Amino acid sequence: MEDWRRIDIDALDPENGRLTAADLTKPILQTGEPVYSSQDVQGIMGSLRSYASSGDFTSVVKLITAQPVYFADSEQTKDMYVKQVVESLAQCRTMEISKIVSGLTDSECDVLIKFLYKGMSIPEGAKQGTILLAWLDNIIEKNGSNSIIRYLTDRKTV
Amino acid sequence: MSKDAVNVFKLVKTPIYSHCFNHDNSVLAITTENNVLIFNVSQPSKPQLIATLADHDKTVTAVDISVHGRIVTCSQDRNAIVWEPLSDGSYKPTLVLLRINRAATSAKWAPNGFKFACGSSARIVAVCYYEHENDWWVSKHIKSEIKSSITSLDWHDNGVVLACGGTEGIVNVYSGFIKGLDKKEQVMNSPWGEGKYPFGLLLKQFYQGSWIHGIKFNASLEKLAFVSHDARLTIADAQNNIATVSNPSGLPLNDIVWVSDSKLVGAGFDCHPVEFSYDPNAGAVKFSKNIDKIVQSGVAKNISLDNFDNEDDDQENGQQTFGISALRKFKDMDLKGKVSVVDNELGTTHQNTITQLRVLNNSTVSSSGLDVCFFH
Repeated sequence: MEDWRRIDIDALDPENGRLTAADLTKPILQTGEPVYSSQDVQGIMGSLRSYASSGDFTSVVKLITAQPVYFADSEQTKDMYVKQVVESLAQCRTMEISKIVSGLTDSECDVLIKFLYKGMSIPEGAKQGTILLAWLDNIIEKNGSNSIIRYLTDRKTV
Repeated sequence: MSKDAVNVFKLVKTPIYSHCFNHDNSVLAITTENNVLIFNVSQPSKPQLIATLADHDKTVTAVDISVHGRIVTCSQDRNAIVWEPLSDGSYKPTLVLLRINRAATSAKWAPNGFKFACGSSARIVAVCYYEHENDWWVSKHIKSEIKSSITSLDWHDNGVVLACGGTEGIVNVYSGFIKGLDKKEQVMNSPWGEGKYPFGLLLKQFYQGSWIHGIKFNASLEKLAFVSHDARLTIADAQNNIATVSNPSGLPLNDIVWVSDSKLVGAGFDCHPVEFSYDPNAGAVKFSKNIDKIVQSGVAKNISLDNFDNEDDDQENGQQTFGISALRKFKDMDLKGKVSVVDNELGTTHQNTITQLRVLNNSTVSSSGLDVCFFH
């Protein structure tokens, strides 16, 4: 046996108890968190659209951060919501961003940054890269790396 | 050395993962690679090497000294060793078979010094005690609900309640009650359980979400403080009252200690300790100050190698954009033989991550780091 160092010994042990993704999203994670149905999400998306069309981006951000959709009936619902959030955020004028961000609390920034990173990872968000980065820039200016490390370590994802 | 550092020991040139003082702070044990070094530090200016404990054959991850002066060390070689001090200053090793198949990560004596707990990457906490009849350290396992490596653990002052935190982001509080060693009176009226404390019973669970780096009980307040990889300090109690605060610099803390009921000190990737104040009545915790941190000017020192070129340039420390300054740097090197030296030294005593803190007395803490210095 040449390559004995590469044998996966855990696979041979029925009691290995490997940490799985499911272990990290235990029910304890969901305690107290609402599970959104696709109707709920449609409702929020409707208000986001109407705030955005009337140019009230402070309300857009407040709504995004007040009701982060961490748990939904399906992954599609979450994806749909992220796309809408990205679209709404992208409509904001760059000039306004710093004013809106400076009015946010730390925990609101922590939620917003999750949408920004998620947004940048999807094609729809990549097209709006400049404006998403402008949001990110303002958050980092306000909070330093605090929000980033919390985004990286938080298991409640959007 | 800044004014906050009372004393700095530069003892070894390897990372110190763990250190410990004995009860009267005269003996210091530090880990260095596969060994543990024991120093006499009763004269702080002249630490004297007393002994080298060299039985481990992998990196030693933790060291702890009991009230009786016994030393426990645990290592990535999956074993723990109890070192009994002898009258001639040497130490007699006794191997403790932890019965784990992964590295041991942390070790802690119970306050009475008759048993210790050892956390491991094998998703097991081993509680070990000495059995007279067999002349042998017995290891009992706590496994329930642990799904990841245990990174840190701490005993409550009553010697029964044991808290441990791991990389799955959950803090578990267990009973470490050993029949024949512990008495029921120790946990009388303890808020952490409901009267019965069979060994290994899960008493409490706190979900944090990110790696737990350090954990400490405060027995007089019945509070549990822990620091996690999201740069937060959390203080929780048996009634699920939870207070959190984040480290202002945004970097995670590796260890936390209670200096008093109203003061905590944490340290980690910042390379300097951070002080937090806790208001026991309001149950609120907040950042109070950075210890041992000097604000730097951030200006590169310029050393001119050749003195013939003395026309001093104003833009040297200037506002140039990064790319141009890099270009300029190489031009300077090429044409003028000028080298600008950036001072990479941090304005802190530790120049690298701090791995562990210990309380010496109500005003002093000691810290050990991944770099060589060591201060309290």
